[in-house]
Amino acid sequence: MSFLKRKSSCHGPQPDASCGAKKVALVGNPNVGKSVLFNALTGAYVTVSNYPGTSVEVTRGTMVTEGQSYEIIDTPGMYSLLPMTEEERVAREILLKDSPDLIIHVIDARNTERMLSMTLQLAEAGLPLMLVVNMMDEAERLGIDIDVALLAERLGVPVIGAAVAKKRGLTEIRHNIAHYTPRKAKLPAYSAWLEKDIADVASLLGGEYALDRKATALLLLQRDQTMMEMVAAGEGENYPVVEALLKEKTFMRRESFHLDLSVERKGIAKALLEGVFRAPEESRISMSERISTLAVRPWTGIPLLLLVLYFGLYQFVGVFGAGTLVDYLEEGFFEGHFNPWITVLIKDLIPWWAIQELFVGEYGIITLGFRYAVGIILPIVATFFLFFSLLEDSGYFPRLALLVDRLFKKIGLSGRAVIPMVLGFGCDTMATMVTRTLETVRERIIATLLLALAIPCSAQLGIIMALLSQYPRVLLVWLACLVIIFLVVGYLASLVLPGSAPIFYMELPPMRLPQLSNILTKTYSRMQWYFVEILPLFILASVLLWIGKLTHIFDMMAEEGGKVMLILGLPKETAVAFIFGFFRRDYGAAGLYDLQTKGLLNPRQLAVAAVTLTLFIPCVAQFLIMKKERGAKVALAIGLFVTTIAFGTGYLLNKILLAAGTL
Amino acid sequence: MRCDFCGHEFSVEEANTGCRGCPFGGNCHMLKCPRCNYEVPKEPALIRKLKKIFGKFTGVKKEQ
Repeated sequence: MSFLKRKSSCHGPQPDASCGAKKVALVGNPNVGKSVLFNALTGAYVTVSNYPGTSVEVTRGTMVTEGQSYEIIDTPGMYSLLPMTEEERVAREILLKDSPDLIIHVIDARNTERMLSMTLQLAEAGLPLMLVVNMMDEAERLGIDIDVALLAERLGVPVIGAAVAKKRGLTEIRHNIAHYTPRKAKLPAYSAWLEKDIADVASLLGGEYALDRKATALLLLQRDQTMMEMVAAGEGENYPVVEALLKEKTFMRRESFHLDLSVERKGIAKALLEGVFRAPEESRISMSERISTLAVRPWTGIPLLLLVLYFGLYQFVGVFGAGTLVDYLEEGFFEGHFNPWITVLIKDLIPWWAIQELFVGEYGIITLGFRYAVGIILPIVATFFLFFSLLEDSGYFPRLALLVDRLFKKIGLSGRAVIPMVLGFGCDTMATMVTRTLETVRERIIATLLLALAIPCSAQLGIIMALLSQYPRVLLVWLACLVIIFLVVGYLASLVLPGSAPIFYMELPPMRLPQLSNILTKTYSRMQWYFVEILPLFILASVLLWIGKLTHIFDMMAEEGGKVMLILGLPKETAVAFIFGFFRRDYGAAGLYDLQTKGLLNPRQLAVAAVTLTLFIPCVAQFLIMKKERGAKVALAIGLFVTTIAFGTGYLLNKILLAAGTL
Repeated sequence: MRCDFCGHEFSVEEANTGCRGCPFGGNCHMLKCPRCNYEVPKEPALIRKLKKIFGKFTGVKKEQ
């Protein structure tokens, strides 16, 4: 739906001054001052409309300078000519279809090197280009010096240094718009193999396109869908030849084409800025940049990841949160003081045994549900979310995405799937919903399956850490099983499900020192949600278990489940934890915690129970969201598959450990 | 607000929520980045109030 709205004007409606006017499009990353420049150039009278067929707003206004009228278009933020979001698609559509007479690329002076990559793409596309290096005042404040004249000479396009929020450079920008004459930008070449690939594809293109052939060929090599459709229409009968070559080239470069291209562009930008961009020595390679580089390189990134997991997850969440804090709360407060007191109180107040059982019985709302939620789960999720927020606020997660991208490609995913996987450690249900943002159906199904199977949620993970931290070898067995299952099942799923390797490319935001206020706010917010969500469910589970106990259904289930447990080499009482697991993953893990504290499990049994329970069927909420996102058939198939794998792995692990006699 | 995954800055109005059909029915208080869909927790009311009170005492005003 399209709509129009105009800012109010004291002179009433004005005639459209843009009729026959030259078009000038402002492009650039979000938050670089495009809209400030737009407002400075156009004044108050603007048109805001949805771009046809989208919900993305595009603002247009009119500028009159040196007697000539110009239509100024403020495009949505874009990071690259290869669009990933609807906003970027719209911004590129404007460049392709509106055919602006001039494109002003606005960049942030402080991040010139990073943003110059898009300038190179625009220049490569043969578009009429002018570069505005904005926020010069901020850059100068940081001691950065930019030689815009030298940059203009090297690029072969007009370059203006500005601080538009302070009206600096506006006269020069207006003057350059009025006197702009199209010219060909000077661009350094890519490496020989890339230039050859581009030339091979470009030589087959016979049609006329809005972008230069080199840029068109590069977008085709990146499998840009819109460009492929345009070229299919433009080439007609010749298209199958182009497509065959593209298939061959993209297959050859399938592992890292986007990364290689990005690295090459970065190299060119760096070379262009040699002698142009001068920053104070200490800010050239900051500590955050050093850590960032270490985090994405496999040889340093993997040990760094293991260190983060050891100290953050094992020591802080497992040993401190699930060990020390839970001991204090659950054993010290609940078992030592609160439960005996409330049991006596309820029994004094309520004479009926059945009702007493509902509140303070074996599966009572207070003695089990409330104790699990507050005494066990709360300290664990608090420490987990604190650790999670710290990593999140530092900007580590996008580095993790780049680090695991190659590995994830082997299992049919890409670095992008790190988003649902990381969120899955918080809550698998919400993470399953996020899988919808993955590019292909194949990726979505694989990610949904792996989330249901091998990604434990925060509370489950914390409790398992607490249980296994006393037995490091059991912990290693548990970790090895999960990693192997994750990779093997992912690899097999990628073979079974048809489809091509996904593409992943992202611009890394800077790493930063985590802010205490941000960490505390995020931790509090996540804990608030978690607690509000789990407490009613734990109470409901207690009520259902109470009904089950009164009607003996629960005893029957525990009896039948006990037989399966015996096959796995576990005591039959473990069936109770698995029945709890049907309600929620963390409830099941808390049940296991109870069994362990009663001394019912030896290390081998603990390893088998922890592995089986972690892999075991997703909780009710996750199953519902799987059904909604992937359909009933897929959800059911995943549920059955996960159950089979969980018990199958538990059975095999028990046999292997018995034979090896290591635990 | 700023996305902790891709660094994109967006307003609460621009954020995706994805609440339709979710069993949590909007109770998770999470906002999704319009660029990469990473989930960012919404600032709780208590924190907003505390910031307001703190702002009053310190004389810090939100930039317009």
